[in-house]
Amino acid sequence: MPEAGLKNSLKRPVLWAGFILILLLTVFSIYGAFIGVEAAQKFFNSIPLAVYWLTFIILLILSIFIFPRLLHWRGSFLNHIGCVIILLGGIIGSQAGFAIYDKLSGTDTIRKGQMIINSGSTERAVEMDNGIIKMLPFAIKLVNFKIDYYQPGQLIIRAQNGQGFKIPAETGHKYDLGDEFGIIEIVEQYEYFKLSREGDKRFAIEDVNGGPNPALEISWQKPDGNNVTRYVFQRFPGHARPEDNLQFSYQRAIKDFISELEVIKDNKVVAQKSIEVNKPLHCEGFLFYQQGYDVEAARYSILGVTNDRGLGIVFIGFILLCIGVFWHFWFRHILGDREMEE
Amino acid sequence: MIYAAMLAYLATFITALLRKIKPAQYFFLAGFLIASTALFYRWVHVWHIPMQNLFEVFLCLGVVIYPVSIFSYRVLRIGAIAADMLIGVIVLFPAGFIFSAEPLQLPPALQTWLFGPHVFVYMLSYVLMAKAAVQAFIQLLWHGLPYHGLPAREEMATLSPEEAAYRMICAGFPLLTLGLILGSFWGQQAWGDWWSWDPKELWSLASWLIYVGFLHFRYMFAGKFPRINSLWAIAGLAAIIITLLWVNLSRLFPGLHNYAM
Repeated sequence: MPEAGLKNSLKRPVLWAGFILILLLTVFSIYGAFIGVEAAQKFFNSIPLAVYWLTFIILLILSIFIFPRLLHWRGSFLNHIGCVIILLGGIIGSQAGFAIYDKLSGTDTIRKGQMIINSGSTERAVEMDNGIIKMLPFAIKLVNFKIDYYQPGQLIIRAQNGQGFKIPAETGHKYDLGDEFGIIEIVEQYEYFKLSREGDKRFAIEDVNGGPNPALEISWQKPDGNNVTRYVFQRFPGHARPEDNLQFSYQRAIKDFISELEVIKDNKVVAQKSIEVNKPLHCEGFLFYQQGYDVEAARYSILGVTNDRGLGIVFIGFILLCIGVFWHFWFRHILGDREMEE
Repeated sequence: MIYAAMLAYLATFITALLRKIKPAQYFFLAGFLIASTALFYRWVHVWHIPMQNLFEVFLCLGVVIYPVSIFSYRVLRIGAIAADMLIGVIVLFPAGFIFSAEPLQLPPALQTWLFGPHVFVYMLSYVLMAKAAVQAFIQLLWHGLPYHGLPAREEMATLSPEEAAYRMICAGFPLLTLGLILGSFWGQQAWGDWWSWDPKELWSLASWLIYVGFLHFRYMFAGKFPRINSLWAIAGLAAIIITLLWVNLSRLFPGLHNYAM
């Protein structure tokens, strides 16, 4: 019976302590939102917060033992145990968790960084967030990188008087801009635009070797009856010749960017995958995801690299928490509180 | 169509206040059908789930209010349909008058099966929490007397607004949790991190924690401090509004979620 007495005497303090910790975390979260991502990361990985996280975990575990109701209410039990598991997984995968692991094991693990790889190249170096370069235990080859755009793109025209037009960039179509500006026809679209010369004659060609240079060729019938040709480049928006009263821009929204990757270990290709945003490559404890690319000429791809340590634990916690809240707040009521009666 | 839906919801609100139950129900249904048609039209027009920007999100909220209101009435035994329609008008107002309706193509980060469920469960939970906050307001204004929401059933008349707010929060909290978890899983897929300490994530966590605090406080004291419980429910909605609007619109919170304007 003294054990029951102790449990009962601890109930109130544990509840209050838990309640205060929840309030504190709410305040910390709001504070973190104001200080920016990097400062928030440092703040939540600081030593005082490490003490906070550990206290929170201990209190959650303690509450499971002190409140027998938590064991009887399966949903509520899963909520609390789910939170413990998420926090444990989070600590294992955190900067501080990695630092402690590395110190104890004498290793130098890659936690989070990025790789910049040119098309056709192979790379092992990962640049950490703090600028330090670390090597992967295998190599990544970027077989090909490509960008998909939504079709059609748009020709944006801005007049000196502030008037604007937005025209779908569809080859062969003519658009009447009114008496003041004339008629625009989209003659051709280029992915690898290059201006070629034959004698005095200049003309546009597709030149894959020169790298991507998306452009539109437009024919502009000016109000005075003159017909002129203009090239509008995606990389140089708002370009206008001095004699023109219109500025042209060629815009295309990115649909997707895709890196075709090969994982090479001991001179053998051990895995291959085309990664996109939301479709990372998971290999040997690391996740490679599409983080960015060479905006200028799409010559290289930027891959985010993260270590998956602790990730599985976090996801188990998520599943338990999710089952727990739905069980506790929805299903036990739908099932007629049978669980509570038990 | 948004303006027509707003008018229908406003008509529901007025007729419900005048206790004209039948016309209120017809206006209510009409508002929902018009808002749903607007949403469907938008879906066809942009050719993706219309939840990309704040215009589309608020249009969706204007649709979601109807099934949530019916669910609250039939399952949770909570009336206050007049108040629901006021919520309907309030959420449609930004879609009709403030946010740009210009259709945008879906950026790569939003092209995933998680996009629809993540945003949808959040919207459902937000509407439930907004209804809870309305009950909390009623509790504060009417000092805890049962609110005779229209049309009212007998058992509803005995339900205090504080109890009604608690029921709404109990219904919405699992969805709020699921939204947070789906968002976290999505973050892992898109950015390689299940948690990035991004302002939107932190405000979502703060909103969730406020309701966690509410549930623990209510567990500790039940309905002993109804005014504090009500203030808690209102604080939760305030955090949700900040998460949904301020974080996206203010330059104070630059982060990964800034595309959702």
